[in-house]
Amino acid sequence: MYKVTFKFEDGGAVEAFAAEGENLLEVARKTNVAIDAPCSGNAACGKCKVKLLGGELDSQKTLHITDEEYAQGWRLSCVSHVIADVEIEVPDIASAYKSRMKVADLDSAKEIEIFEKTKADVAETGIDFENDMDVVRVTMDPPSLDDTMPDLERLIWNVRQVCGTEHVKVPFAVMKHMAETLREYHFDVQCVIRRRKNKVEVLDLLGPDEDVKMCGLAVDIGTTSVAALLVDMRTGEILSKASTGNGQIRYGADVINRIIEAVKPGGRQKLQDAIIKETLNPLIAQMCAAAKVKASRIYRMCVAGNTTMNHLLVGVFADPIRMEPYIPTFYETLNIHANDLGLHIFPHARVIMAPNIGSYVGGDITAGTFASCIWHKPTMSLFIDLGTNGELVFGNEEFMMSCACSAGPAFEGGDISCGMRATDGAIEACTIDKETMEPTLSIIGDEGQKAVGVCGSGIIDLMSELFRCGIINPKGKFIREGKRIRHDKYGMGSYVIVFKEDAASVKDVEINEVDIDNFMRAKGAIFSAIRVMLNSLDFTVDMIDDVYVAGGIGSGINMENAVNIGMFPDIPIEKYHYIGNSSLSGAYIMLLSNSAEYKVWEMSHNMTYLELSNEPTYMDEFVASCFLPHTDADLFPSLSFK
Amino acid sequence: MPFTAKSGKFSASINTLTMGTGEKAIVLGGENVLPFYTFDAPIENAPKVGIEITDGGLEAEPECVKKYYEGCETIVDMAKKAATFEGVDFLSIHLEGGDPNGENKPTEELIKIVKEVAEAVDLPIVISGCKNVEKDSEIFAKASEVLSGKNAVMLAAKEENYKNVGASAGLAYKQIVGAESADDINLAKQLNVLLTQLGVDAKSIVMNVGTAAAGYGYEYVVSTMDRIKAAALQQGDATLQMPIITPVASETWGIKESIATEEDMPEWGDQEARGIDMEVETAAADLASGSNAVILKHPVSVATISKMIKALV
Repeated sequence: MYKVTFKFEDGGAVEAFAAEGENLLEVARKTNVAIDAPCSGNAACGKCKVKLLGGELDSQKTLHITDEEYAQGWRLSCVSHVIADVEIEVPDIASAYKSRMKVADLDSAKEIEIFEKTKADVAETGIDFENDMDVVRVTMDPPSLDDTMPDLERLIWNVRQVCGTEHVKVPFAVMKHMAETLREYHFDVQCVIRRRKNKVEVLDLLGPDEDVKMCGLAVDIGTTSVAALLVDMRTGEILSKASTGNGQIRYGADVINRIIEAVKPGGRQKLQDAIIKETLNPLIAQMCAAAKVKASRIYRMCVAGNTTMNHLLVGVFADPIRMEPYIPTFYETLNIHANDLGLHIFPHARVIMAPNIGSYVGGDITAGTFASCIWHKPTMSLFIDLGTNGELVFGNEEFMMSCACSAGPAFEGGDISCGMRATDGAIEACTIDKETMEPTLSIIGDEGQKAVGVCGSGIIDLMSELFRCGIINPKGKFIREGKRIRHDKYGMGSYVIVFKEDAASVKDVEINEVDIDNFMRAKGAIFSAIRVMLNSLDFTVDMIDDVYVAGGIGSGINMENAVNIGMFPDIPIEKYHYIGNSSLSGAYIMLLSNSAEYKVWEMSHNMTYLELSNEPTYMDEFVASCFLPHTDADLFPSLSFK
Repeated sequence: MPFTAKSGKFSASINTLTMGTGEKAIVLGGENVLPFYTFDAPIENAPKVGIEITDGGLEAEPECVKKYYEGCETIVDMAKKAATFEGVDFLSIHLEGGDPNGENKPTEELIKIVKEVAEAVDLPIVISGCKNVEKDSEIFAKASEVLSGKNAVMLAAKEENYKNVGASAGLAYKQIVGAESADDINLAKQLNVLLTQLGVDAKSIVMNVGTAAAGYGYEYVVSTMDRIKAAALQQGDATLQMPIITPVASETWGIKESIATEEDMPEWGDQEARGIDMEVETAAADLASGSNAVILKHPVSVATISKMIKALV
């Protein structure tokens, strides 16, 4: 046995013991040391870099590590084996998903506008924004020797009078502390209640003078990223918005790897802890601090996530989702409360989950489809959610067809060496001069923000521009030379977007052929899914009236460039609309509006699910789509530079 | 009412491509009907048959082939002899010894063979590479140079080395560029697009769209060729109208049906007959699926396939 010491940049350290030849990444996982490994330790992504401080590792050298880096002690943990006592530094980049947490500044956030717009669009369909949560003041006569009614009956009787409802339910959680609370406030309290048909449920008792902010939490749990809104349940006002990486990412980049990990002994608990203890609870704490509210004032939560995320969140056995015939445990759940899951909000808060409609089309899509309002339009719309799984919904008020394809994490910057989510320092748009090959960039953040990496929308622009300028060929390989073009010793080409002197990063921000290849497959998966789904309905692309694009790809997405690289069909650009994180806005509206919650439920029953893997033409279409813009250039007639 | 057959000819046609020069030059392609559908429209250029020799010379040949080259001392002698066999339209020099993972013969040594053979025979020549993309780039560049003006086929450029092979064989020395892909219509098309974007004339590209011995995943070969011909003719897809050349010998002479001896497999019968059968069956199927030329090894196979073509076209 050898001793492995993991040191962190903040000075902390963790020690573990490992057998001779044991894989370093495995040791880290067992010890619960967070190392980012989106490819699940296949030496494909190069993200699990660690620094050897002392001792020895039997480590393979891969193309992800330069000679210089190797000499400095950098190793890929997934190809390193313990052969002696070692000291390892785990850098912040490796545990990046933790530090990626970001609470948005509400004054400047463009995204808030998108939420307001979505709310207005939904309101136009006739959905009201009423919910059953309320706060009522209940002033009781204190008990005396002449009035010996017990506290519980006293409260029920008084609530009955205030609310005008016969049935009042007081759960045990409230009754347990009732005696102290009522006496502390001299039988004059505010009750947080839930009004149901002929029934009122008392959720919480608060002091009479508190300015009660009755909060709700809308959460979009993506495979790669998690985003949340803290809202005032009464006014609908967004109090705080935050996003972070999904802590489960170190157990694999996609749902299949996560399920495999969850099936291992103790895995279910590990994955549930990763999302709840490591991701949601810290996120909630930060948001509450930013909005200056107590987490215990969050009385309701609405979650929109894909089927696997939903299963892992509630900690149920998810393996049947992965295995033919792909059966999930549930599509819908009722009666899940915060304390069932260990969420640090009001313990008895109801957790609403947007319903799933298939093993690979989940609540994020039902919520998103609802937010896009395509279910209310007579014209044909296509809804595209660009996530780790790309999901499509096509239809109108009469029918809706959905399907899912595996796009990988590329749209959110995963599996891309310079990739990042659309936050400060991300290059979100770019043009390149054809002569000089010099780029012009637009970077998210305040004036003067230097580039750190590239987000999904930036990669679309880069690919389109590199292709337009003849720097890459339709296969995504570099065919021009210049000071910004480099080739490593394996012959792999790359384009330097920002030299390290001008970047907020320790190395050049560059995009290489592997990145382009990964993104090519992601865009190919989306386009081929669109083609196969439309073909199965005997529709052509020109029958699409509107396309709603959602996802964490970045609000700066340039639809024209997305068409140029063959990600979206070649139809007039004005038909495309970016609707932001529709899963989150759907969850937000479901949280605020009972009729929205009902409508999503009703809608989910009316959606047909098309299993692409059963379509014999899908693989063919996919290979044809992995080309710029497409192997069949006739599908892109409006492209001037083919 | 009398039955009038409707012609199934297409308005699009396969590109015509001339291999070699002078009297022995041959033309591939040009047809506007499905393979051997001469009842729909005449097929002017019947499919062609090539014979393969390798840089390993006589030693590298299977026992049953050696006897046909009796008396040959050098590879040049073999080439001269091969040119006299019945039904041979062109000669393929397979430089398999160049593979860095095999014998790793230096390029100069291989090119010397190419040069000597080319001087000795007047048949159109195909240079078949060693399958290593880097070495092939080198071999095809040098071979294109020494075969300058001979209108030879470099078999083949792949996605990994199309730039080098296309530039040397196609652009600098105006040879015919083979474009090799692995049993996928889209990949075949993509490589053709890349080569033409590089500046290689679409009319001097010949495709090897993937091959296998019959029974060895052969359905993929048939399906790919079928669909390529359908796209080229029915849909008039100009990026798939290149003629197809299919190396057969290199596949069929390595499988157990051809190499298992009679001692090992007495119930399978005569080894030579088996080898010929495998080669003939595979070649016939390739031609029926749309190949415009096949490359074979055994003189009897060459004669048999040649006869089959004459009977059908």
